[in-house]
Amino acid sequence: MYEVLMYDGGVYRVNELYELVEDVGGFVIQKTQIQVQILVTMAVPEEERPSIEAKTRELGGKIVNVPLAGTEVAVVAPTLGRHHMPHPTCDIAEQLRRLGAITVVMGLARGKGRRTSQISADEKAIIEEYDAAVFVLGNFKDCILEHKIHLFEDIQTPVVAVCGPQIPSLPNCEAIVCGVGRKVERMRREEEIGRLDDVSVAIEKVVKDKRRVLEEDPLFVHPAEVKDRITELEPVQRSLRPAPVVLHLDGLRVKIPYKEWKDQIADVQVYGHRLGDIATISDSRLGGSTLIRIKTQSEVEDHDRRKTS
Amino acid sequence: MTLTDESFAYDNFESIFRQILQDLGITRSVLAFRIVADPQAPYFLISVRLGRARSAIKVADMSQLNTHTGGTAITITDEAWAPALLNKLWQKYGRDRVEQLTRFEILVRGAELEEVSAMELDPGEELKAKVLDAVWRLFPEGFTVRYNIVDDRAMTIIGTEHDMSPQWVNVAQMVHKEMQVKEAD
Repeated sequence: MYEVLMYDGGVYRVNELYELVEDVGGFVIQKTQIQVQILVTMAVPEEERPSIEAKTRELGGKIVNVPLAGTEVAVVAPTLGRHHMPHPTCDIAEQLRRLGAITVVMGLARGKGRRTSQISADEKAIIEEYDAAVFVLGNFKDCILEHKIHLFEDIQTPVVAVCGPQIPSLPNCEAIVCGVGRKVERMRREEEIGRLDDVSVAIEKVVKDKRRVLEEDPLFVHPAEVKDRITELEPVQRSLRPAPVVLHLDGLRVKIPYKEWKDQIADVQVYGHRLGDIATISDSRLGGSTLIRIKTQSEVEDHDRRKTS
Repeated sequence: MTLTDESFAYDNFESIFRQILQDLGITRSVLAFRIVADPQAPYFLISVRLGRARSAIKVADMSQLNTHTGGTAITITDEAWAPALLNKLWQKYGRDRVEQLTRFEILVRGAELEEVSAMELDPGEELKAKVLDAVWRLFPEGFTVRYNIVDDRAMTIIGTEHDMSPQWVNVAQMVHKEMQVKEAD
């Protein structure tokens, strides 16, 4: 299984690290250079971690654990009004970002109220594009148990619910973190930081479980390999959007319009295959983005077999 | 009342309200408050015992006034009153006639010195507006059907999502009466 690590060090002889990553069969996911300092996020086979660590020591850098790198997580609040917890919502998103995830904060169009709160099919479809979702709920136990759980009733993506009162278990979600509730200030106190850690532990577990399921029938190529090829496309290089290519556990999101570029994306060559043959390419609900879901090895083999027969 | 234990919600709403009062700088002007909520009904009620606002002040007591060729020139000596003064001048003379020359100097065109000098600023209204602001910040979003009882001593607001039931209005009136005679916490 691949492990995602982040190298934090200088640019001096960093090429040796890139070469080693390539030699052990890993990929560089992202490089962020600030003058002579560089952060390199990479995916390497689990068993090769010691050799990467040895090289890091040699270069005078350090390895930072980023268990959520290569994932995109949605943090959902009933609305983004000041009544609906913008503070905890932002703090949770920031916490997940520090662990390597790309996060989006989302408010529902009609999430306010108790009996009137709703989620539309469109909003559910948007949330399902992400690897996991965190729903940030409020103070009243009765409100959460009777009404708010319907917000994430039919969502296929794993959900972690965050709320105020102590609730032992909730239906329709993978994990629950209690003790947050509504706040009008940032989460700075020790116990609040502890709650943020609980949220990240819950998401890490969800991501790990999803990775394990994927390992049973591995993807034909790792999304990071596809990213390398996709980044060479001209519209991606011209894109001014932050993180134009975002990794998912089972594919990637490319922030260029689907209608205009679907054919060029499908024609990208990966290990002698057209990307269109080894992945499902579709329009993203987010607008101006394309979703790529990489097929599993068995799906591609099956496809190849049918083609030759 | 509710079948579930909502103590977390009560404690949390109390600390939110205290925090909001602190943010708005009116902690000392609110002597006591009480929050009642029934999530099963559902309604949310807050009753606030208002403290004494600063006593009314004449414009002449917080500024120096001079006759000017264009009208009356005001030099503010106590800046704490400046926002209230500007508001009052805008209400009376309109924005076109009130010119803010510097941070402390205001020129009111075509106004008599005596008239401006005798104007009174009412801090009670200002306090009520701030308390109302705090209440709206606290109130659950979506509870838009509201009923309120306001007098000089207390302010009670109850809100719900759908129709307001007369029984809940009774609860509001009861809590309001209790709050009127309540001593400071």
